[in-house]
Parts: sequence; structure tokens; C-alpha cells
Amino acid sequence: MNCQTCQLKELVVVPTEIQDVLRCILHTIIFHRALGLVRPQDVECEHFEITYVHCGDHEIEKKIDEKIDQFVGWVEKHPNRKGQVCLSFYEVKNKHATWFGNKIERLYWEQWYINLHVLNPKSHGKSHYTKAPVSTGENASEESSSRHAALESSLHEVLFQIIRFANEKKTTFQLYKTLRLYHFHMRSQLQVHQTPLLVGMLMCLRGCCRLDILPCSVDYKIMQAINYFSEPGLYSVVNEAEEKGHFVH
Amino acid sequence: MELGSGSSRPSDQESEVSLLGGPCTASGPSVNSLKLRSIYVSVSMPWRFPGLTRNLWIEMATSPSHSSPESAIIEQVITEFFAKSLHIILESRSPYVSSRNYSVDQFMSSPSSSCSSSSSMPRDKWFNLALRDCPAALENFDIWRKSNLEPLVIDIILIRRALVPDVARPLGGCLLRNFSGNCDLAREPKSWKIVERWIVQYERHKSSSSKNHKDVRKCGTKNNGGSSCSSETAFYKKTYKRYIILFRSLYVFIRLLPTYKLFHELNSSGQICPLSLSHRISSSIQPFTQEDEAKMSQFTFVPIDTPRGRLSLSVQYLRTLEDIRSEPSAPLSVQFILDYVGSPTTDPFRRLKSLPSAPSSPALVSFTRQHSWSNDHGALASVPLCPSVACSEARGICCNPSLCLPSLIHRNDHSPPVISEPQNAAVTHKNNMSFDEFWPSPFSPTLSPSSPAHLPGQRSPNALQSGSSQIDIAKAHPITASQTQACSSEGKLQIQMDTVRYGNYQTGPTIVKGFPSGKDDTEKLAELPSSSTQGPLSRSPSGLSLLDKFDDSGFACPFADYKDVTESCNRRSPHAVVGAVVQMLMTAAPLRQDLYNLCRPPQVFMDESLNPCVQYDQANTEQSECPASTSETLASVLLKSKTAAEGLEELRRYKEMKESILKQGASRSSDVDNGPRSPGNNDQS
Repeated sequence: MNCQTCQLKELVVVPTEIQDVLRCILHTIIFHRALGLVRPQDVECEHFEITYVHCGDHEIEKKIDEKIDQFVGWVEKHPNRKGQVCLSFYEVKNKHATWFGNKIERLYWEQWYINLHVLNPKSHGKSHYTKAPVSTGENASEESSSRHAALESSLHEVLFQIIRFANEKKTTFQLYKTLRLYHFHMRSQLQVHQTPLLVGMLMCLRGCCRLDILPCSVDYKIMQAINYFSEPGLYSVVNEAEEKGHFVH
Repeated sequence: MELGSGSSRPSDQESEVSLLGGPCTASGPSVNSLKLRSIYVSVSMPWRFPGLTRNLWIEMATSPSHSSPESAIIEQVITEFFAKSLHIILESRSPYVSSRNYSVDQFMSSPSSSCSSSSSMPRDKWFNLALRDCPAALENFDIWRKSNLEPLVIDIILIRRALVPDVARPLGGCLLRNFSGNCDLAREPKSWKIVERWIVQYERHKSSSSKNHKDVRKCGTKNNGGSSCSSETAFYKKTYKRYIILFRSLYVFIRLLPTYKLFHELNSSGQICPLSLSHRISSSIQPFTQEDEAKMSQFTFVPIDTPRGRLSLSVQYLRTLEDIRSEPSAPLSVQFILDYVGSPTTDPFRRLKSLPSAPSSPALVSFTRQHSWSNDHGALASVPLCPSVACSEARGICCNPSLCLPSLIHRNDHSPPVISEPQNAAVTHKNNMSFDEFWPSPFSPTLSPSSPAHLPGQRSPNALQSGSSQIDIAKAHPITASQTQACSSEGKLQIQMDTVRYGNYQTGPTIVKGFPSGKDDTEKLAELPSSSTQGPLSRSPSGLSLLDKFDDSGFACPFADYKDVTESCNRRSPHAVVGAVVQMLMTAAPLRQDLYNLCRPPQVFMDESLNPCVQYDQANTEQSECPASTSETLASVLLKSKTAAEGLEELRRYKEMKESILKQGASRSSDVDNGPRSPGNNDQS
């Protein structure tokens, strides 16, 4: 299957806004792709007047926060850089036994690229583009507020972009054969002098939540594609799980 | 209509069918035919849609035209598509009935599911999006269900109501709540505007050779060997996931629209806002005007094809609501809510059962409470009684309720409200320092105005309970306490009495206001300790004469430690008292007028029938000792602007006082009839 890629609009953020922006975007994407039974929870952004939706899974939320913290840590060490967070959905193929071990093949069917331009507030006075002198006092606050308003508007656009992309026919068709539980891979590509630095993460929605830094060392349970409607026996099991408040396996 | 089980046992099916109303209920041969059909469906169905089994019997019974159970299932899915759409939309647009942000535990224990069998799924889990019940959605959809899949047009309407205070509003009338509550809408001007229009449509294909049919057949050929029915089923299996994603998108999208922000504010804010959201559901689309069309944006979700049609969901919404929401909402502190003030369940009413009853029961409404923060206490004193105000019941002190009551409890005014003694109004009392800490607002939502205020410096918080509370109030800060008490109790404002009395604490003259109970009250009042060496009690001889006058005027001080006063209060119901107070407040004169009046000589306010305190001022020659300075100070105090933060702080204190009063109610109930406390029990600091 072809891998659908969605490049989200670049957002200009300051370090204090990274967590809020990434949480909003990542949870929105996952909410569109975790097709099991969910009990949505509304979450208010801390820095913006935007309400996004959680799946209601604490493990996912915890892992997302953990990886966002790693990204933020990297940003602190490399300020004023453009970063990219990639959220990939893939299907795990059967392991291929080789001389050197089992090789897990992943078939990516969808990737979301979250582009962030992180500005360092300390050096932000010198505009990245115009090299204008550092503005002080009221001008700085006005610039900050205007930048914040622009970011909020851009974040709105990104969320609309996610909604449109998630509902495209060519995208949703891929889901017919995909897992009820999705493996997805999130990595941060941080270009430092054009040298990509990968901070990998693998996350699974329930059942296979083994969080590791690099994917190649993880051995995940292979979830077979489940035809949701064809196996009443399985459905009864699934239904029980739903009744108990779990995701459907 | 809800069936609790999808059991395949014929007997269960029969019983379920027989329980159905409408066309599902039948007798004789038709029942048998239903039984057969039900049995057929349950046995032949190789797979299950969540929750579909539950309603399938209904579909089979009501739609005998279904050629196959799969078709019925498809129709059911379409019906649930409409229901889910309506649910999501109204859940985030209908204030006070939203079910969002529930906890998992609540969901698990929620009785929303009507099914008793684990094999079926309640409605709210359709499309794997578990939502709590939304009464508005359920109610409206049941009505729409009969429309046979006509377009579902949901208009979200923004209603703006003008805040028109109605002074003649009777007790129990609307007190400027959020207008989606109990207000009499017909009496208030309002305008409305459609801010969103959601359209859910199912367009049936006219041609059998549509693309969808090709896709369906292709799907069927690929999976099931070419059966048309099974191909439809397989196709629907694949499209069901698209439904899931669409509703996820809808759930997210609806929270990004401008109207959601207003909905969130209305749902979460305690402010009384002239704006409210409502909805209208219809099956026809009424076009917007060109002007409205230009202001609106449109978003259409990707339509989902079905074997026999296409489901589409679109929305037109206003890009911005700022121009509509330009009118600021009134702060809650300005408004009075009858439930809080006039609630019969609040203890202060029982506390004040001994207080003189007011002839009427005004609604506890004051639309000018905010002015109390900036009101000078002298203005309170200067305000002639307004007959419409409850205080006028007792020919109380202040016609302007906002002047009378709040000024007494003004946290920043360290001088008591000088009703009868404008020159003394600005006198500061050493208890004033603690006044701010303890004096709750009588008009706070959590503090019934009938509740005696917790006076500052009061060591015994329970003192503010009816008779005994009157005494304690007089001890600490009688003016404010009495004012509060007056406005809260049986409709009589004893503001002036205590105000004057308190004002004399500093200046010396005893301003013992008349209690309607008579001389006994005067004597009791004379026993009230003062915060200063000079107290009103020391002036009791001069005050006693005035008390008689007050007694004639029917003036009553709820905080007076007079048995007769409390006994007279028992004659009136709490509602009547509160209503009288509110009536007085609503018909009170503007603050500024009172402020002007305050600066005038005391003689201006002479009114035997309405302002006994002023009368007393005249009679009290000692009051003239320092009129000018007092008036100047009072004017400065009156003119001092109060910030919202200070007002809120005082409001908090009022609430604390109310709470303490309520707690003391039970323990002090027996003290009401025991008379005043002795002066030796003065708790003043």
C-alpha cells in the first residue's frame, strides 16, 4: 500500500509553547486514527483558546508527553532551529528470520510531519528575517502578542488540515486493512546543520505499549488485521472489552 | 423503543416485539408474522453491528419493505448516523445539557444504556464514539426519526436578551439569571441570530447503475462471491470505518468553531450573560440572506457513499461572533438571585423569625449592587425610603437598596453608613478594621440577605442569629450588620438604626434607633456594648425617645436585641420579608442621587415615616457637634471608587459571614427568645 504523507503547516513557536502545540496536534491525529471505542475528553490548550480532544487513554497521553519532553530538551540544547516531528502509522509484517536476527518489517501507510520553527525568546529580538534591532518595552510585548495570535490562527489551520486529510478517501481506504490497534512511530527530525538527528519513539495503542527510544531494538507483538464485522466470536470478546472500558482489540 | 437484548431465542424476541409501541404492536396474525420475521433476522444474521441488533426488530416490524436484513441494517446505520451527528452537535451547543468531559467511571456507571444484555451496545457507543446521553439530542431525534430520513437541519441560534430590570417583578420572578433558565422571556426584548447551520443529508441514488453500486458489486465479488446482499454488507463494513473517522473529525471540528467558545463560556461561567445558545431542528433548509451568507463560512465533510445513497454532513458558520458578543455581560455581583436570597431553606430566615414582618414580600433583586462598592455610606443614610423596596415595609432606612445595604457592608468604608447622621457617616470605628474581614455581602449568591452578617471582631460568629445575632451585630458593627439584616429579614431595613447607633460610637451621641418593638427594645439596645468607650448605650436616654418614634413607624432592626422585634418578625414569612426587601431595592432611587443628597444637610432627609434615623438625627442635638467634618469625610468616602477586586473581596467576606451565620443558626435558635445579651458580653475587640 502507498504511504500517505501529510506535511502540516509550519508553526513558529517559542519553547514555552512547544508542549501545548505538539500535544494539541498529536492528540488530534491519534484521535482520528485510533478507531477503537474511545471516550473523548476535551482538553483546553494552556496558551491558546483551542479545545482539542484526547482519546482518553492515559498511557498514550503519558507517552506523548514523554516524547514531547525529549523534543523540548533537544530544543533547549539547540535553540533557534527548525524541527520536525513525524508521527508514522505502520503495519508490522512478519518477522523475517535472518542470520543476524529477526527483522521486523514495517509498512508505513501514513505519516504526519509536524514542522516547528522554534524561536529562542532571548535572541528573538533580532528578527530571523529582517534582522531588525531588538525591540524593547511595549513594542516587544506587541510583537509577542501578535506572534501569539498568529500562532493560534496557524494552529487552527493545522487542525483543520488534519481533519481534511484524515477524511480523505484515499487515506481512509488504507484503514480498511489496518490494525484496530495501530502501531505508530514518532520521531523527531531536528536539522542541525543539515544533519538529521533522530529521536525515535515507538508507541502502540494498548496491548503493546513498550516504549523504547529506537525502534530497531523493539520486538512488538504483531497484531493481525481484524475484520471488525466478520467474527462474531471475536466480537463478543471485543464487546466485553468495550463494556469494561478498554479499547477494542 | 429500546430493546435490551439481541437474544436469538424466539420467545425473547416475541416478548420484545410485543413491547414495542406503534406499528410494532399488533395482534393476531400480524404478531405472528412479526415473530417469524424477527426469528429469521436473528438466526440469519452472521455478523453484528454494534447496537444494531437492538433496533433491528423495530426496523423489521415498521418497514416491511426491507428486502433483506442487510438492507435493514444499512438503513439502521444511516439512522444512527443522523442520531450521532445530532448528538455530537447538540452536546457542544446546548448549554447545561452537555455531557462532555465525563469521567470513565461516570460513564461506566451511567444509566445511559438502556440495554441489559452484554451482547448489544447502547446508542452512545455507535461508531466507536462513546458519548453520554444528551437529552436535547435524544428528544429531538426521536421526533425526527419519524421523518423517514429527511434532511436534518440544525440551526444553532444565538439569542441576546436585554437586561431590563423590572422593578415590579413579583416575588419569585426572574432575577437576571442566564436566560436559558427561568426568566420570563416574553417580558424581555431579545434578538436572535443563526450562527451555525448543520445539515445532515442522505441522498438516495436514483439510478441503480450508480458508481456506488459498482463499488458494492466489486466489493461483493471480491469477498463473497458475487451476492448482491453480501456485497452491500461487505461494502458497509468498509464504510463503517469512514463513519467512525467522520465522527471523530466532527467531534474535533465542532470545538474549533467560534460558537464553541461561547458555549464553553456559558456553560462554565457563572456570570449572568444576555447571550444564550439555542437550537432549532427542521427538515427544510431556509436560505440565508446575502448579507448573512457573506459573513458565513462553509465546511463540508467528505461524503460517504452507501450502496443506495450518499451521506453528507456540512456546516455553515459565522466566522466571528465578536460583533454579536460586543455587549458585556453583567457581573454576578450586581445581580441577585432569588434562590439564594429568598430561599426558605436558608437558616437566616428562621433566625430572623422574631424580626418584625414586612407587609409585602419583595423580590430580592438589586440591579445596582455594584454601585454599593462605590457608594458612600452617607448616601445610604441620605436615601429616602423607596416605597417599592422591601425596606419600606418597615419604613426602613434606605430607599435605594443598593445604597442601603451594600454600603453598610462596604469593605472599604470604615465609617458606618450614616443614614440618620450624615455628619457621622464617615466616622471610623475601630471595629471597621475587622469589618472588612468578616462582613459578607448580603447580596452574594451564597449569602441570603436574610442572613445576618457576621460582624467583624465578633468573637462569637453565631451571634448573628435572630435576636442574639442582633445583639452581637450591634456590638461589632451594628450598622452594616443591621443593614444586612434589614434587607434580608422580614422586609424591614434596620439600617438606619444601627447605622446611626454605630456612627455614634465614635462621636459619642447615642443613636439608638427605634425598634418597632417598643421601649423594651430600646432598653435592650441600650444594653448593647459599643466598640468605643462611648457607645450608643451611653446615650440611651436620648435614644429611647426616638425609639418610640421608630416604633410608631414600624421600623424594626433585625439586629436589635429586642424580644418584641424578633417576635414581630415571626409574624411574616421569610418570603414576604425577602420580597419586600427586594422590592425596595428594585425601586430604590439611583445611587448618585443619594450621593448628592448625602452632602445636603441632614434636614433634607427628614421624614418621619420613612427615615426614622434622620428624625433621630434632628432630635439628637449632639449630632451637630461635628457635622461638617463628618459630611466631608463621608463625601470623600462616598466618592471613593471601589475596585472590582475590593468588591470581590468584600463579597467573599460576606459569604464567609453568611456561612458562619448559617452554622450558628442551629445553635442560636434557642437564643432568639432569650433576649439580648448583657453588655458584659461585648465581644468587640
